[in-house]
Formats: sequence, structure tokens, C-alpha cells
Amino acid sequence: MGAAGATRAEPGPEAGKAEMKPSVTETQATSPEATPVAKGRAAKTLDAQEVNLFYGDFQAVEGVTMTVEPNKVTALIGSSGCGKTTFLRSLNRMHELNAGARVEGSISLDGQDIYGPRVDPVQVRRLVGMVFQQPNPFPTMSVYDNVAAGLNLNAGRVKKSEKDEVVERSLRGAHLWNEVKDRLGKPGSGLSGGQQQRLCIARAIAVEPEVLLMDEPCSALDPVATLAIEDLIGELKSKYTIAIVTHNMQQASRASDITAFFNLEETGKPGRLVEIGPTEKIFTSPEKQATEDYVSGRFG
Amino acid sequence: MPGTVRVEYQEELDRLEASALGGLDLVSAALSRTLEAVEHQDVELAQVVVADDDRIDGRYLEVHQALITLLATQSPVATDLRLISALLHVLKNIERMGDQCVNVCKLIPLTGNQPPSDQEMVKLILTMGAQAKTLISQAKRSFEGRDVELARDLVRQDDAVDNLNRECFRLALEIGDDADRREWAMTMLLGARAIERIGDNAVDIGEQVAFVVTGLFREFEDASHPMG
Repeated sequence: MGAAGATRAEPGPEAGKAEMKPSVTETQATSPEATPVAKGRAAKTLDAQEVNLFYGDFQAVEGVTMTVEPNKVTALIGSSGCGKTTFLRSLNRMHELNAGARVEGSISLDGQDIYGPRVDPVQVRRLVGMVFQQPNPFPTMSVYDNVAAGLNLNAGRVKKSEKDEVVERSLRGAHLWNEVKDRLGKPGSGLSGGQQQRLCIARAIAVEPEVLLMDEPCSALDPVATLAIEDLIGELKSKYTIAIVTHNMQQASRASDITAFFNLEETGKPGRLVEIGPTEKIFTSPEKQATEDYVSGRFG
Repeated sequence: MPGTVRVEYQEELDRLEASALGGLDLVSAALSRTLEAVEHQDVELAQVVVADDDRIDGRYLEVHQALITLLATQSPVATDLRLISALLHVLKNIERMGDQCVNVCKLIPLTGNQPPSDQEMVKLILTMGAQAKTLISQAKRSFEGRDVELARDLVRQDDAVDNLNRECFRLALEIGDDADRREWAMTMLLGARAIERIGDNAVDIGEQVAFVVTGLFREFEDASHPMG
């Protein structure tokens, strides 16, 4: 590793105060209506260069260089322990929340280093949202407050009328509005699993991120709810850059445009990116034998 | 490790490939009988070939259905998907080859009970048929061995069939003014044409071999753009 490989430790005390450059912060407006997000803005590119990820002494991911392209769904696939989720979590600086975790290499959002010394990780996580495997609405909060939660944290004081608009727009964007519009005041935990996951997606898009990361977003859902989320992902890509980790290869083939296959040579070794390409190519004529073995289900 | 999982799926896929390609053996046998029937003007043997085509059609239906089931239940991808796609094509080619044998056999009663009007033309057709059989077995070997070079060589082998077909056409033109002889020659030309199509189907199978191996489908020769 050269200079770019300098170890990135936990952000120093000054980092919390710093902001990303104006090109990024300009999307952070107090009024959601004033942001360019809702008006056909261009999605952004996430670019990873020679990324190494560690948990203490253990290296989980080695030398990953790949681009998550705008307005496309990029699926990260690979067997358990191959580092795909760790890599996903490095894309919005969540990896470093683990004690002793380190990041080497560079990750940039439209050319801007998200691990730069003056960059606020909280701001990164607002721009690069995450949806988790298990739907995790705030259990005591109402449906409305769940969606507005990120807004309250990120945007300071927001007028009620503006908040109403954002909540409705986000719930509509997550294909949930019609199902919950008459129960906005009821607890989010009362919804079905698939509805809860769409609520979490609504919460993620309420703060109008640039990128949506999804970590196995459907693995806790039944097939109908899964297909609803996949349809939603297909729609969201017109506005966002999306990366999704999935164990379900049919989901990767159905829902993604680009597929990245991660693998590790043996247990204890770091995961590496084996092959990345158009999903159609990965599932019809992959370049590498390891990819072929994995997608055809011949690796355990 | 590769090969240690999805064992039954792999066995089923292997079985279906063998069964589909086994259809080429059925076609080869049908073509042998067809040529024998042509040589001896054997109407009864020709009827056997026509009736026996049900076996080739049955193979087509059986393997086709089983491949659709694999597609529906096993979500094949990558090489497996290309193989299944290719087998679906190849099955159709085999079924068409069987039909061409039937086409030839249905002509035999029309050629009458008189000795052939032109022995040379009969010989040419028999030579074409033998060459077509070579193509059938070469197509099978190239598929089984995933041998793109052998598959590509089918084009060269097929050129020989095409040349013999043109030679038949020339003989038919020169057969004279006698109406019966002309009718006989026209009928035999239809038979030659059917055998020529069997060669084309073998070349198509070769193209599927290249698709399975490379993932790219390209016609070895484009009849509509021969100079391209």
C-alpha cells in the first residue's frame, strides 16, 4: 500500500465538527423541498480503491477495488465470511464502529474521500443510508415518527407541514403509504415484517441520501414481501445508487444490474473480490471458475 | 468443493444431455434405413422409417419437458444454463433431421416401380447421405467433447454435401425431355434437398457447441450474407 493505504483509525475529536466539501453538503438543506434530491438529481458514484478491512489483527477483506455505479443496483454475493457485509459497512463508515476495526485504502463518493480527515462520519452515514437484514423500526415510535426520526436528527427544526410532506413522500417512495396512511400514529412495530422493512426503507430515504446500502434486506421476509422489496429496489435506482448484499442468488440475478462476487481462499484468509460485471454476464458466462462454481451452487 | 453438492441435479443434467444427443443415434439409424430404401426402392422399409419417426419425436418431447422442469426447479445459471439452452436447440435440430428422413421416405413410392432413370443421380444421393451421417456423428462427438474446432469443421464437411446437391441439380437439368424421367429427377431432387438440410442441421448443432463453450452465439456461416 502506498500513501493511500495509510491506516484510517477512528475519527479524531476534530472530525465530528468537520463537514464534507460543499459539493456534498449542499444536499443537506433544512427544507426537504429545497433539496435537489426530489427533482431528478444525478445519483453519485461510490468508488473503492485497494480497500483492506481489519477487525483488530484479523484481516477480513483484502485489496478490493470496485465502483458502485449511479442509478444501478450492485449486488454483492459470496459465501458466508467472504467479507461482503464488512465491505458494505465500510461504504458508509459503519465498519469502524466495531472496536479495533480499521480501514485501509480509499473510498470516495463522486471523487470525494469519505475517509478524509475533515469528514464527519455521521454526515457520511446520512448521505449513504443503510437498510439492515432484520427490519428494525424504533419499536415504541409511531409509523410517522419512525420515518421522521432521521429528519429530526439531521435537519434540526423542521416545520410540521414540511415534515408531513417528507413522511408522505418517503412512505409513497417505499410503496407503503396506502397501507399505513390511516394508522400513522400507531406503533411501527405493529406492521408485518415486509411492511416494517419498507418502513425502514422509507426512514432511510426520508433524509434523502445519495446512496442506499442494503444488507440482506429480504432474508427475514416471505416471498411476496421479498418481491415487493425487489420491485421497490428497481424503482429506487432511478434516484439512488444502490448496493445490496444478498445470499439469495436468484435475488441478485433478478434485482441487480451489476454483480460482484466475493470469495475467500480458505477460512481465516481475507475475502477478496473475485469478479465484478454485468449481472447478465455473471449468471450466463462468468469469467472465473470460482464464480461459475458459486453461482451454479457447486460450492457448499 | 465443486462437484460435492447438487449431485442429483448434476446427474439429471448429464442424463438429459446423453438422452438428447442419443437422439442423433436414432437419426443416424433412420438415415441409414432411408438410404437403403432409396437404393432398393424399398417402399416397406420407407414406411418403417416414417412410423419410427415417432421415437425421435418422443425423445424430443421427453427431454424437452425434463429440461423445462430443470429450468423451473433448479434455476440453472452460467454453463448449466448455456448447456440447457443449447440442448433445447439441438433437440429441435434432431427432430427436424428425423422429419427430413421422413420427407425422403415419403418420396420413394412416388418414384414408381421402374428401375431408376439415372443410376448416377442415385449414387450421388447415397454419397450425400453417407456424408450427412458423418456430419451427424461428428456433431455428436463435438458436443460431447465440447470441441469447438471439431464443431467448426462441420462447415467444411457440409460443403461436400452442398456440392453433391448442386451436382444432383446439374444431372436433373440434363436428364432429357422424357416426362417420366423428368418427374423422377424432380422427385429425387426433393430427396437430395432434404438430405442437404440434414447437413445444415448438423452445422447448427456445431454452433450450439461453440455457444456452450464460449458463451457467444455466432453462425459459422451466414447463408443470407455469404460474403460477410
